[in-house]
Amino acid sequence: MGPLDLLVFLFSDHTVRTVGAGAVLMGVTSGVLGVYALLRRQSLLGDAMSHAALPGLALAFLLTRSKESAFLLFGAALAAWVGALGVIAVTGYTRLKPDAALGIILSVFFGFGLVLLTVIQRLPTAAQAGLDKFLFGQAATLLQRDVGVIGAIAVLALGAVVLGWKEFKLLSFDPAFAAVQGFPVRLLDVVLTSLVVLAIVAGLQTVGVVLMSAMLIAPAAAARQWTDRLSTMVLLAAVFGAAAGIGGVVLSSLGDSLPTGPTIVVCASLLVYGSLLFAPHRGLVWQRLVAARRQRTVQALRVLAQLYWLGAQHGDPFYPHPVRALRALVGPGVEGSLQELAARNWVRRLPDGRVGLTEEGLAAVRDFLRQAEPEAPAPASSEAKAQGGEAGQ
Amino acid sequence: MTAPFPQQALAIEIADLTVAYRDRPVLWDVDVQVPAGVLMAVVGPNGAGKTTLLKAVLGLVRPAAGTVRIFGQPIKAVRRLVGYVPQHREVDWDFPTSVLDVVMMGRYGHLGWFRRPGARERALALAALEQVGMRELANRQISQLSGGQQQRVFLARALVQDAQVYLMDEPFAGVDALTERAILNVMRSLRAAGKTVVVVHHDLQTVREYFDWVLLLNVRRIACGPVAEVFTEENLRQTYGGRSVALEVKRS
Repeated sequence: MGPLDLLVFLFSDHTVRTVGAGAVLMGVTSGVLGVYALLRRQSLLGDAMSHAALPGLALAFLLTRSKESAFLLFGAALAAWVGALGVIAVTGYTRLKPDAALGIILSVFFGFGLVLLTVIQRLPTAAQAGLDKFLFGQAATLLQRDVGVIGAIAVLALGAVVLGWKEFKLLSFDPAFAAVQGFPVRLLDVVLTSLVVLAIVAGLQTVGVVLMSAMLIAPAAAARQWTDRLSTMVLLAAVFGAAAGIGGVVLSSLGDSLPTGPTIVVCASLLVYGSLLFAPHRGLVWQRLVAARRQRTVQALRVLAQLYWLGAQHGDPFYPHPVRALRALVGPGVEGSLQELAARNWVRRLPDGRVGLTEEGLAAVRDFLRQAEPEAPAPASSEAKAQGGEAGQ
Repeated sequence: MTAPFPQQALAIEIADLTVAYRDRPVLWDVDVQVPAGVLMAVVGPNGAGKTTLLKAVLGLVRPAAGTVRIFGQPIKAVRRLVGYVPQHREVDWDFPTSVLDVVMMGRYGHLGWFRRPGARERALALAALEQVGMRELANRQISQLSGGQQQRVFLARALVQDAQVYLMDEPFAGVDALTERAILNVMRSLRAAGKTVVVVHHDLQTVREYFDWVLLLNVRRIACGPVAEVFTEENLRQTYGGRSVALEVKRS
């Protein structure tokens, strides 16, 4: 069975199809909203909010005794919201810094949630709520109805982002300037944070409260590496989120009882590492390559300058010199530089092994020296000689 | 009926303004009247409340007491008439956007809710970039700008706001001489067009040359008026910790 057949087989499977749809919708939503969380430096707020959702789930179950995901997720959203408000309140009214406030809220809410889960498990009715699936997610339990809820959240959240595109962009870049222009910054902030809460809630059943913040941050962080445009970044984050969702579902349905949620998160993380390393311009590998090339160019220009100065001593800028002499002046590595220079046609190699400047090389070295030392022009006498040599050509 | 507000003589009228962060007063009982059409410097030592004063005028900080009026109206009623150039360090310049995009943000208030900028906003933004000498950099990523270029982008963004009153927070901070000249020229052309420009300024040497009106501020208003009248040795001493200066005078 080839890989394509395998995919066809997987997606003809009803459960995989449902779970896959849920994972994609979840990935797109959290990817898009994660961009705003990332750009507004609220990545950790997302983590605190997703952990804070746990007691909300438990309380919703205790109050309604229903496993209906719409009820449970409503409770989760409410608690996540209260958690976010808690962080804002602790930061605003105490002298604690935001990181400490996040830590406090996260652990208090999460701990309370775990206590409630234990209480629920000991209930005599033993309704077997299976709420612990919300800890790390259990995608296999997604029903079509759940996917419907996630889909509704996705439509709402993405619609809001499209509608308020310019407002959210301004809020994220320069909130004070938004306020100066009369936009209600507090309201916009509340709306955007609520959308992040919705994105978190959409992923709770698939990925769980513990890992959900990764789905918020990873696609956005990966997308940031590839582009300098907000619109492209949002689209890429959506694609990365969806890809992680699909990847996780496919991998976990292939492997023996691999948990879907964590596998999705691993896929998202791989996208981040790949992007951090290999993205053009911002990627580490790219930056290394650029730095190395720059280093080589500077080294080559130094060799070129030596040739120029040696030539000036002979009164002829094109006077060829043995490679040995250059190596003594510049050090090892001169051979590589000469190859580079020859490739640019800045030096010519004579059959006897000596090397000399070309016309282009002379122009390049003069240009380089002017930029390198704008204050100190080359000594007048050798410059004049060089000019003379040039004229004699 | 009163005349439409831009014709009124006072562009900004600040009365009894007090602003406090926690229990520390940043501005104390400040009265300032800025006539329309002046180019005014706000000078004072660090922590004198200069930025806070601008933010209070803009309605970004809530005063503990006092009122601010722009052409006789509260700021909420006349937002379109006020342009703002914040300190360029106040935003994250690694934000994924271009110079042109940032300048067009100055039109968002005019566009109102949900309407996207179009060809008209683009043209206005390009004209403003031309005015600050940054037209060629319109499509540049903002992360690749120097400090002086960032400052000029913010200036262009304020220009497209097409305001009557401009508030600028240290627009000359960290810019080279050439950029300073370019920014000054923009300010002067604004004044020539009858606009009022208020500038938080640090270089006392250039106050006389650049500005025609000055506010000396150190939590309290020390003096405010035409540069020739109030920019005096005595007022400066009061503004910049008069006591230490007085001690030195006694010793010598």
